[in-house]
Amino acid sequence: MTEYYTRMGDGRRVTMTKEQIMNDIQAGTADAADMASIPALNANDIEHMCEIIMDQSRVVGVEPGHEVVMTYDIGQLDFTGDNGNSGNGVDMGRLEAALLHERALGADTFELAHSDYSIKPVKPVISMEMQTMEEIQAEIIAPYFYGAMPNMGLYYAPDGPYGNPADLMREFKIEESMASSEAAAEHLARDIEFVTTRLQAAGSDGFNFDTTGSAGDADFVGTLNGVKKLRELCPEAYINVGAAGESVMGIHGMIEFEGEIAAGLYPHQQAQLVAKAGANVFGAVCNTNTSRSLAWNLGRAVTFIKKAVEDSPIPVHVDMGMGVGGIPMFETPPLDAVARCNKAMVEIAKVDGV
Amino acid sequence: MAFENEAQKLHDALVTCKVPEISKAVDEAHAAGMPAADIINALGAAMSDVGVLFERGKLFLPHVLSAAAGMKKAMETLGDELSSGATEEKKASAVMGTVEGDVHDIGKSICSTMLQCAGFDVHDLGRDVPLGKFVEECKAGCTFCGMSALMTTTMVQMKTVIENLKNEGIRDQVTVMVGGAPITQGFCDKIGADIYGESASETTRKAQDVLGA
Repeated sequence: MTEYYTRMGDGRRVTMTKEQIMNDIQAGTADAADMASIPALNANDIEHMCEIIMDQSRVVGVEPGHEVVMTYDIGQLDFTGDNGNSGNGVDMGRLEAALLHERALGADTFELAHSDYSIKPVKPVISMEMQTMEEIQAEIIAPYFYGAMPNMGLYYAPDGPYGNPADLMREFKIEESMASSEAAAEHLARDIEFVTTRLQAAGSDGFNFDTTGSAGDADFVGTLNGVKKLRELCPEAYINVGAAGESVMGIHGMIEFEGEIAAGLYPHQQAQLVAKAGANVFGAVCNTNTSRSLAWNLGRAVTFIKKAVEDSPIPVHVDMGMGVGGIPMFETPPLDAVARCNKAMVEIAKVDGV
Repeated sequence: MAFENEAQKLHDALVTCKVPEISKAVDEAHAAGMPAADIINALGAAMSDVGVLFERGKLFLPHVLSAAAGMKKAMETLGDELSSGATEEKKASAVMGTVEGDVHDIGKSICSTMLQCAGFDVHDLGRDVPLGKFVEECKAGCTFCGMSALMTTTMVQMKTVIENLKNEGIRDQVTVMVGGAPITQGFCDKIGADIYGESASETTRKAQDVLGA
């Protein structure tokens, strides 16, 4: 029986038969459908995905005319960061990185980023970030944003002033844990307002909130409150809110945005709140299981994202990189896997951008 | 079935994981004449459902802790009636703890709560528990010994406790339960433990099976 080269979720090369690939796609889509109570992929979608995975070309792509918008997160760090920070260890200035992405890598948008890539550490260097934003805006043509992660974990002990829910819950101090999450979320929203409005004043075209909800549901809600404020104060700002995972993790459990409990929301539900906060684009995410095959992960990821695209009132730019969107969790993701996952997201999930 | 309506309301309230709603349902059931033991049993059954929803990612840790807090409050509210002997006897006594050198205990604490809800008399020793304490509790009458570890460097302590139970001549009287992130069924078999639980609810279910409950 013919076997096809494919990947595991950790990037390892494996061979699988068509039957095995089909079985894994079906299991992946069934898992997503069960988790989020959404429809599984239909027979045509599964067959098409299987064909994409079995294609023996190293690189696959969409037909001309079906290309989608491609934007980047993490700014210059994809070059300057080391291997442990999603980068390639190639040092260069932030201006050079921006122009390289615009003029050589086909980026439709790009962003300025601080080396820590979190909102909180930008505060003490805001004047320098504003100056750099202004300087690069004078050179670049593509829409140029500022990007950072809300990263609310930095507001909890030992890095911040609020009690750490992980410690408080361990001691069964659930009310204190919730109060701490709420206080941190309010602080995060204030900091988002401080940072984003100043960068908008320096000429930024907008703001990319990357990995929203990484510290759980209060992080998600705090960010959306910050987004809401930014929208009020800067109506012209282009706002992209990218998620941290397919489900908003419940660290608070009950915290709400606009009357909706955030914990446990899946991409099609996250999109509604992101739009309500005033964002222009939702960056939907599905994390990769390293122990499962690419077929399983892609089947699962496309199921979540397809439903998000269908339900979202704003464009969905799916997050496609190491460990997300069906792509293996590997510092330099294999090109064959990256190309296949992107093609499936465009052709089956019908995403507006990547 | 008597008090079927109240039992359903208790179940629904506990699954909301909101303490005020749980307390309200308990007060209403009690006012309607439902025996305290039946109220606790209904809440215990609902707690098992909370555990299943937690395993499936439908509920999260704060929800489990809030549900447990609601159940604890119910036990306090009904304390007088429960302690007057109106409730059934505890099924068995279990000592629970995270082994010496390991300070991770959220999973173990959830398991202790679920065992309590299932009718076990739980002696939770907390985390970083000296190995001798497990044996002391078993000698004092605990017939279940639950040990948790989250590190490969500390999980080996479980084998020492089992050896100590053998040395004391009480190994056959005790059901040893092991769990935690690095623990597997293979490790459980290798060290001669009796129950491996991948989750709190699985451990509780297996412990109940041992008693034939």
